[in-house]
Amino acid sequence: MGNLDSVARAIEECGGRPVVTDRAAEIESATHIVLPGVGAFGDGIRNLRARGLDEILREHAVVGGIPFLGICLGMQLLGTRGYEGGVTEGLGWIEGEVRRLEPAGEDQRIPHIGWNEVAFTRASPLFAGVDTGHDFYFVHSYHLVCHDKEDVVAVTPYCGGFVSAIARGRILGVQFHPEKSQRLGFQVLRNFLAL
Amino acid sequence: MRSIRYCASCVMPETKPDLFIDGDGVCSACRNYERRGAVDWARRRQELQAIFERYRSKNGENYDCVVPVSGGKDSHFQTIRLLELGMNPLAVTATTDHLSAIGRRNIENLKRQGVDYIEVTTNPVVRRKINRLALAQVGDISWPEHVTIFTIPVRIAVQLGIPLIVWGENPQNEYGGPAGAAEDNVLTRRWLEEFGGLLGLRVSDLAGKEGLEPKHLIQYTYPSDEALRRVGVTGLFLGYYVPWDGYSNALYAQAHGFETYPQPVEGALVNYENLDNAQTGVHDYFKFLKYGFGRATDLACLHVRRGRLPRADAVKLVQMHDGKFPWVYLGTPIEEIVKSIDMTLDEFIRICDRFTNKKLFECDARGNLVKDRDGNLTKINYDNPCNRWRWSTTEWETSTRWRAPSRNAGAARS
Amino acid sequence: MPKIRVMPTLLFKDVGLVKGVAFDSWRRVGSAMQAVKVYNMREVDELVYLDITATSDGRPPDFETVDDLADECFMPLTVGGGVRTVEHVRRLLKVGADKVAINSAAVEQPALIREIADRFGSQCVVVSIDARRRADGTYESYTHAGRRAVGKDPAALAKDAEAMGAGEVLLTSIDRDGTLQGYDVELTRLVSDAVSIPVIASGGAGTYAHMAEVLREGRASAVAAASMYHFTEQTPLAAKQYLRAAGFSVRL
Repeated sequence: MGNLDSVARAIEECGGRPVVTDRAAEIESATHIVLPGVGAFGDGIRNLRARGLDEILREHAVVGGIPFLGICLGMQLLGTRGYEGGVTEGLGWIEGEVRRLEPAGEDQRIPHIGWNEVAFTRASPLFAGVDTGHDFYFVHSYHLVCHDKEDVVAVTPYCGGFVSAIARGRILGVQFHPEKSQRLGFQVLRNFLAL
Repeated sequence: MRSIRYCASCVMPETKPDLFIDGDGVCSACRNYERRGAVDWARRRQELQAIFERYRSKNGENYDCVVPVSGGKDSHFQTIRLLELGMNPLAVTATTDHLSAIGRRNIENLKRQGVDYIEVTTNPVVRRKINRLALAQVGDISWPEHVTIFTIPVRIAVQLGIPLIVWGENPQNEYGGPAGAAEDNVLTRRWLEEFGGLLGLRVSDLAGKEGLEPKHLIQYTYPSDEALRRVGVTGLFLGYYVPWDGYSNALYAQAHGFETYPQPVEGALVNYENLDNAQTGVHDYFKFLKYGFGRATDLACLHVRRGRLPRADAVKLVQMHDGKFPWVYLGTPIEEIVKSIDMTLDEFIRICDRFTNKKLFECDARGNLVKDRDGNLTKINYDNPCNRWRWSTTEWETSTRWRAPSRNAGAARS
Repeated sequence: MPKIRVMPTLLFKDVGLVKGVAFDSWRRVGSAMQAVKVYNMREVDELVYLDITATSDGRPPDFETVDDLADECFMPLTVGGGVRTVEHVRRLLKVGADKVAINSAAVEQPALIREIADRFGSQCVVVSIDARRRADGTYESYTHAGRRAVGKDPAALAKDAEAMGAGEVLLTSIDRDGTLQGYDVELTRLVSDAVSIPVIASGGAGTYAHMAEVLREGRASAVAAASMYHFTEQTPLAAKQYLRAAGFSVRL
């Protein structure tokens, strides 16, 4: 599902030793888990469930407390349910729904593609060394609406404002692509690897 | 897998930037050379003299032109020819990356031909950093040298108020340089970008990397368009105005004290050129990795065009010498070269692999390059399957692999 | 708003990069790897990489080359050329493409766009439209690297693609390509007005002012250029500095 290679390469550049896998044994021995994602919600969650990964990930991240980072679709899948292509249940680790972005002005085009500001709503180790308001790279049509404000770490002013980063303990998610956001994106990845 | 197509007349592959192979399978460089027969060299000589007249110093208080030189065979030829034509040139050298002993001796010999000489040596500590950056970023260790070959003479021209710069040969043979144009012939920055061959990397890209700041890059900085226009700096390529031949230049230079190397230089076929910079072996090797041809191919083509080497012999010599891993160049081992730019041999080899165009070389089933015991690669083909086919360009382009034509389009001749 | 994106385009033919004029007279310009590395060094907003003879050669995308290049490319990458199946898209995304551009296949199998969008999401589908101006001032769309007329105008084609789920349009003026004479602003405006997905203007950029013009009058969301960066001293960074001074929102 998606560009695993890019994320792996970026993690490598940030000093990590990435293992691309869908096997329980390898996930078990990981110090950090990254769930990237390019694609549609329904397809994504079905893929995870088909391989039993939803359970394995829950066991290690939610129960075991291994630092977990969801990227783009990977963050959206953490929600309770998604509305892309029908209604589908998500992993449910973060209370919220994945809805389509709605343009808030004539000029706002969907999908949301390009560099946009990430404004922090609260502090998080994920953004250590990064100032608020800098641009990261987004490419998506859907967003996660969080029910609990405490889960929200950053928002982006587009389509009425949407959540661009979440954190619940060591379960983290970013709507943007840190592996494509160059210097600042790499800083985020390094911060994650330091957890 | 699609094979590499070679010129039917010389041995240059189609992968060379800016080269075209026509419907008869002959490359643009060969065609340019063929056209030489029709050139009115006497007329060109007159044009040259007219340009000299226009730009030489009127009162003898300044030089008539700047001649960028390296001390090599072409530098000798250019300088001596200019003196013979009654010009008073200022010779300017941008010191090369890793000057060899024979290179230094040849520079001294050039001075003895009777010219004032300015040698500009860039900060070697900075230079090494740029060599490394350029090697890693664009696969060209000699990039800073290519920059300074243009920037340093042009800066001197601006600073000393000498409008005319006389270069030797331009790779685009039919281009004489802007000096010959009646108007609008200033060497602006745009000209440099189009003809300078800088691989897209710019000096401005370096600032901020490895502690480099603009203050370290002064000599690499091309003068502003305003300064260029004020002095009216323009340039010409001598190779357009006289029938240029590297070998006869070498003979001429030798007769004036130019020293050649005791044996053919590694990776080349001759002993009379590229004797001054130990890093040139690396530069030539990367050309081979990216485009599938190196110095041996260049030289073989020059000699084939002039009828000094039969094409079949050229193919054999190229296969023997072209693109070998540069373990030694001008007697300097690769370990010394990479150490001087703060790199390990392993890092160097990784960079080599990264820039290798795998489509041109044999790879194993897993897509890795096949290397022999000495680390040498093998090209997928060293010549056309059959040179005498005459295919139209579209036929070649639409075929996905070579096969004998089944139609009557181009009779088979062998 | 997302920032205006300034992106270089790399055209790949057989073994290396090329540049052409009006989709003809291709001139070989050097190794793809060094171009990717230079742009990576410069941290450009995005990179577009198109294999221009894949469809005419009847072959699939060159996954191996894309893989090698993507390894050096830490910025968003759009890859096109010879994409005809969902499997092609899956593989390209896997080896590092963020978005996939579809040109000939979008016209020949419109349902493919739907399939890809459903499976991978609209945001990774870029429909690449090449157009020429007719004598009467209207426009014709082309596939197969400008060799086959579609019989549909670009705005209609873009609208259909959007309805099928395309997320972005890469719009190239064949007439202007490589000429450094400026984008076809009218063409860009026609397509931008017809769809609500982002439109990338391509073909003809020669100066920063051309970019400002197509953004302002043509309503493009992003500007692509190739010859301008390759043959002149202009750079994507300087383009953005110019655009910022001209009042556009860019990432600097």
